[in-house]
Amino acid sequence: MRVLVLYAHPVETSFQAAVHRTVVEALTHAGHQVDDCDLYAEGFDPVLSRLERIDYHDLARNRRNVDPYVERLLKAEALVLVYPVWNFGFPAILKGFFDRVFLPGVSFRMEGGKAVNNLQNIRKLAAVATYGGARWKALLVGDPPRRSVKRVLRAQTRPFGRVPYLAHYDMNRSTEATRSAFLRRVSKEMERF
Amino acid sequence: MRALVVFAHPVPESFGAALRDTTVAALRNAGHEVKLLDLYASGFDPVMGADERRVYNEPGINELPVADHLALIKWCEILVFVYPTWWYGPPAMLKGWLERVWVPHVTFTMPTATQGPRPGMTNIRKIAVVTTCGASWMLSKFVGEPGKRILLRGIRTLCHPLCRTSYTAHYKMDSSTPESRARYLEKVSRKIGKL
Repeated sequence: MRVLVLYAHPVETSFQAAVHRTVVEALTHAGHQVDDCDLYAEGFDPVLSRLERIDYHDLARNRRNVDPYVERLLKAEALVLVYPVWNFGFPAILKGFFDRVFLPGVSFRMEGGKAVNNLQNIRKLAAVATYGGARWKALLVGDPPRRSVKRVLRAQTRPFGRVPYLAHYDMNRSTEATRSAFLRRVSKEMERF
Repeated sequence: MRALVVFAHPVPESFGAALRDTTVAALRNAGHEVKLLDLYASGFDPVMGADERRVYNEPGINELPVADHLALIKWCEILVFVYPTWWYGPPAMLKGWLERVWVPHVTFTMPTATQGPRPGMTNIRKIAVVTTCGASWMLSKFVGEPGKRILLRGIRTLCHPLCRTSYTAHYKMDSSTPESRARYLEKVSRKIGKL
């Protein structure tokens, strides 16, 4: 499958970077064609501008500034998100990808006054995340990024089967053992993605 | 009380700006001292860069790039967010403000083996959200309102333990009318005035 990997972390030596490498290697090894989109490395600007907001519903103009990203999204058959959870949600650079690229005419289209999901090309979906806090704390808050993946993204695409959500919680108290166990789990899951 | 209004909308002539003005006026009329932080107008950069991330956990040093913003959130007792809900959450501009400004050792203490994280912003006793949603109430509830949860549950855990919350939204914005918008402005004025 053609898999678009959306990755959001600025530091090359971080654990998240190791997670990202593991994801890309395992997917490639399993025979997938990986489009590795490293949002920081590509200098993606997550800020939706005034003009973009004004043109938002104009299908002829709204994708002008993000056309290459729209193309990559529409060509993908699967989507894998790799991110750290910062302050209870996606990093801004990833949130901005949804703000600016998931446009009318791209992620949904209007038919007879109703929004219809448009990303039918995406048949598989997964997320690999790290959380600073413990799992109970994420649950207490309602785990916003998990909802964004499992409900919003799932509804906007057409995944068959389950949506793997792999998370290492409590990073602030993680050890070498928990981190390498997590990398093994990520590798295994992505191999059979 | 001291109130900070954090505003994120790219279009100065939008309905969002009317919500900002109504919010600020309602707070002033209720006798609060108000400061406004307009993230788009001030050109705030919401992207946490590699250098900043590397020192993210360093006490003192992590405060330097955002010292003026930290001073604002330490000053206020009421915190009001005014923003459009995009893709069920706050705009990247506002999300980035949270992650760059609400840093560890200031807004919370790091957990240890025996003790969980503790809130650092106990000066904040009320948090309110004023927003607009393209989606319906029903769909927003089904999805679970990630944006509301980030601010009113997540950020709230860093504030005073008895911190109260308030949420106001105009749903189905794309089919809103001048009447529905006027009604919503009145509602915002009433709710924010009672904070």
